[in-house]
Amino acid sequence: MDPIGSAAPARTIALRVNGVELTTPIEDRELLVDVVRKRLRQTGTHVGCYNGDCGVCTISLNGKIIKSCLILAASADGGDITTIEGFSGGEELDDIQQAFWDEDGFQCGFCLPGMLFAARDLLERNPEPSEADIRQAISGNICRCTGYVNIVRSVHTAAQRRTS
Amino acid sequence: MIRTSLRYHRPATPEESTAILVEYAGDVVVLGGGTMILPMMHRAEVEAGHIVDLRGLGLATVTEEGRYVRIGAMVTYGDLLDSDVVAREAPLLRRMAGAITGGNQLRNLATAGGAACYGNPSSDVPAVLVALGATMCLHGPAGERRVPAAEFFVDAFRTAVGGGEFLMWMEVPRLVVEVGYHKLKLCEGSGPIVTAAVVRDGGRTIATVGAASVTPLRFDLTSCVDSGVDTVDELIRDGVVNPWTDVLADGRYRRDVAGAVVRRAVADLREG
Repeated sequence: MDPIGSAAPARTIALRVNGVELTTPIEDRELLVDVVRKRLRQTGTHVGCYNGDCGVCTISLNGKIIKSCLILAASADGGDITTIEGFSGGEELDDIQQAFWDEDGFQCGFCLPGMLFAARDLLERNPEPSEADIRQAISGNICRCTGYVNIVRSVHTAAQRRTS
Repeated sequence: MIRTSLRYHRPATPEESTAILVEYAGDVVVLGGGTMILPMMHRAEVEAGHIVDLRGLGLATVTEEGRYVRIGAMVTYGDLLDSDVVAREAPLLRRMAGAITGGNQLRNLATAGGAACYGNPSSDVPAVLVALGATMCLHGPAGERRVPAAEFFVDAFRTAVGGGEFLMWMEVPRLVVEVGYHKLKLCEGSGPIVTAAVVRDGGRTIATVGAASVTPLRFDLTSCVDSGVDTVDELIRDGVVNPWTDVLADGRYRRDVAGAVVRRAVADLREG
């Protein structure tokens, strides 16, 4: 086995991150979430459990939401990533973010990036979700502040504004 | 961060994959969806110097092949949910995929094939594959090898996958039967406590019970169902001789509730 440290197997991968093409050196053993945070400095993507439970590391990879602690960065080579920094595509809040703001859909904000990606994924598939649909859609995201009530309300408000 | 040195391999052919698995035998793991193996490596519960990613093999497809549906080893639960072929020909797989916990962020990574190869008794996948009469298609040093799902699950966390082998496809017979399903779990975020898939094919009614025992168990319910379901609980309880205990539930609890789960699956089948 190779010794730990500078001799660890490494490579360079190409990514598109929030619309910007780039390359980055990685070690083969690095998880995508760690590359996103520590090498690409997109620290809006949070890291919690490293076990796929909490959902705070949720990003979009090639158009699908994923938990970025559950994939090696090497596996994502060539991929198109959107993090929370690129969520709205600009400096303004997008409509889902605005709904979370208006409905007090977060307290400490740690879970918020993952919640927003889960909410967008839901509304793209189901523009008029029921409360049960919303709760199901955020079942891969843990919030320890709110009890979820305002989060569910935020997603509902975002859906209503889109369809009204 | 995985704390030990790791070399990543993304082979382009099955032969190349097997060659790497053979060359580094004992110090290599197969990477499917990664949702189990990577957290375990992060926690240093699994250490390996090499990891073989199956992403380069074109195994992320669902295809109709004559009498069966072929599910690639890299097909995610999300792919199963999005597949028209699965919805039409193997709806039980779709139903199973929809009940996997962890949200779409997990279902877009985790694979049914990976869950099968992990062999966790408390998983939705093994019993469903056994119930559907699936065939597991492996690739290894001797080439292709086909193993019926009923023989694939050997013990808790042990499958028929041998040295240098990995899963390529699962062949699921097209639906020519009636199916009922029920999954008992503690809460939305819980793995399964007990699952039951009841299949009626011709005159026979077979229940396959998952998560209650170390491997899936099959029960012939034909006589019970024909005479009313009152004797099902006893039949199931007596049949769970090696109940599975883990952090989710004690084996005695699983054995106690397995009969009720089967009855609900029978009711589901009757309601269509």
